Amino acid sequence: MTKLLASIKKEFLLLINDKVGLLLMYMMPILLVFIITLVQDSTFKLVNENQIEIIVINDDKGPHGDTLIAYLNSSGSFTIDEREGLSQEQIQQTLLDGDEMLAIHIPSEFSADLDIKAMNISIGMLQEFDIIEGTEMSEVQMDELILYYDPVLQESFRYSVLSTVYSYLSVLENRLMIEGLYAEMGYVQVPEDMESQFMDNRVEINQVSANTSSNQVIPNSTQHNVPAWSIFAMFFMVISLGGNIVKERLSGSFIRLQTIPASFSLVLISKIVMYVTVALTQLAIIFALGKFVFPLLGLPSLMLPSNILGLIVISFLSAMSAISFAMLVGTYAKTQEQANGFGAIAVIILAAIGGIWVPSFVMPDYLQTIGSISPMHWCLEGYYTLFLKGGDWYLLSPALIFLIIFILACQLLTFIKLKIQNFI
Amino acid sequence: MSAFVEIIDLSKTYPKASECSLDGATFTITKGDKLGIFGPNGAGKTTLISILCGIIPQSSGDVSFKKDGKAVPLKSMLYKLGYVPQDFSFYPELTPYQNLMYFGTLYGIPKMKLKQKIEDLLGVLGLSHVTHKKVGKFSGGMKRRVNLAIGIINDPDILFLDEPTVGVDVQSKNAIMAYLEELNKNGTTIIYTSHHMNEGQGFCNRIILLDIGKVIADDTLPNLLKTHDESNLESLFLKLTGIEYRD
Repeated sequence: MTKLLASIKKEFLLLINDKVGLLLMYMMPILLVFIITLVQDSTFKLVNENQIEIIVINDDKGPHGDTLIAYLNSSGSFTIDEREGLSQEQIQQTLLDGDEMLAIHIPSEFSADLDIKAMNISIGMLQEFDIIEGTEMSEVQMDELILYYDPVLQESFRYSVLSTVYSYLSVLENRLMIEGLYAEMGYVQVPEDMESQFMDNRVEINQVSANTSSNQVIPNSTQHNVPAWSIFAMFFMVISLGGNIVKERLSGSFIRLQTIPASFSLVLISKIVMYVTVALTQLAIIFALGKFVFPLLGLPSLMLPSNILGLIVISFLSAMSAISFAMLVGTYAKTQEQANGFGAIAVIILAAIGGIWVPSFVMPDYLQTIGSISPMHWCLEGYYTLFLKGGDWYLLSPALIFLIIFILACQLLTFIKLKIQNFI
Repeated sequence: MSAFVEIIDLSKTYPKASECSLDGATFTITKGDKLGIFGPNGAGKTTLISILCGIIPQSSGDVSFKKDGKAVPLKSMLYKLGYVPQDFSFYPELTPYQNLMYFGTLYGIPKMKLKQKIEDLLGVLGLSHVTHKKVGKFSGGMKRRVNLAIGIINDPDILFLDEPTVGVDVQSKNAIMAYLEELNKNGTTIIYTSHHMNEGQGFCNRIILLDIGKVIADDTLPNLLKTHDESNLESLFLKLTGIEYRD
């Protein structure tokens, strides 16, 4: 026991002397979690809460262009900047020069074409019901609305705006179609109460996230980013631990240990104990920041899962996966530069395919399949199950099984290499 | 004098190597020896010491440690075996005190005794003033002395030193050799390799010359000089191993 404590103390002393390693292990993940969560949260707010500045060039000779603008205005999502007489080139130049990133051009025949289109639908419906007959429908080729956008604008953001415009266009079209129906049946105008019923009869949609716990956790940038970047930080220990192992091997410290009456497993166990402690303190610090500091910055607070034992088990297995991977890299690398370079690149690739940066579900199928070999993917799956899906043990089991297999495989390969090198 | 270690027909061929590094070495180490192992580069000195300390396995042959006339496994000898490798085998991020505390604890030395031992050792080796400074910032000579201090922290009965004075100044070399002399007087058997013939000539009571993995001479220095009609170890060395480069 005294020998193990001495080994752990030695690891601790080496660790606190590795200032760069400490910075990488503690400061980098804290910065990453803060920055990524702030960025994602502000993007979410930009799309959902802030008003988007949009230039509207309304060349429509009729009233519907104005109605569409009024709808967009009333939505509260846009700040409309109406301009007149801008050519296509001028619109594009305005976007490239100015603060606005979006512009809509409403064509001159927008109202006339929309009226004809709505009337055609109304007549078609009435003919289907044998209410009227013989009325001819006019041919119409609608000019398109054009949405101009700054090329730096993200695709998802653009589609969000586009879908809002489509939604209000559809409201306008429905209204015109109803008016057409009443007009064909001989009414001068749609009764007011009827029109408002048609227009307002929207079904409310209640959003419920699939969850095995009674405690509903609303997915947000904090719930996603805190576990994701904590995992990334743990695996980045490869720089410190991997390098530490190579250094000890190359310096001859491992060789000296072979002439001392102490088991080499002491060295390995002390490294595991020290770095599991580091990983768990990393987690504790980042989780505490998510819980207590994020709300002070206007970010959502981290909601801890109800399955605390599950959280401890997944955290321990994640830490062990990261440490086993670092030990494997440190044992097989020939130089410290090799361990640092390969280790860092491997962690970045495993993070990318494991869904740390971009959720796995948006990746192509083949990439999702490849991603499932990344230990970070399973660590993340474990945390998502805990933080977002209620933390049921059955749902956790695939992650637990994969991580245990990964740890055993890494430890076995490390053992084999150390045996070949005659250290064990 | 009874044999302390018996080395019988010891050979070593490294994996993928075409030639053997050690070829049928046979000799004994007697208690109280100051045995110098000399040879050109690649002669097999480090390989021999590494096998004797259990760092690498031999390909064939036998090494037998004796205690009270009975063969004992190397493992049981480790508490009283000291090893000073050619490379600096310590943690440069730590202080001499922290390094010695770590390795001393692994030898199972009680804490209070270990503290006293560290203080004594650092004093004798002229390192008291840097007890709590990081070894990484030391000069080559100071690092050599730290390397030696770790190798003898357990008061070894048998001490293996692989070129313990390489790359150090005269002062450090004298301090190291004087301390080794002191250790030997107190009963430690010393097996030592070096390229410094003068140093070896002054220190060793017995010489083994290795060349291309083979033991080509093994006797006391006066006997060897008389047999080969040479005046000093260096001329004897050149006579027996030739003047061609070996690396």
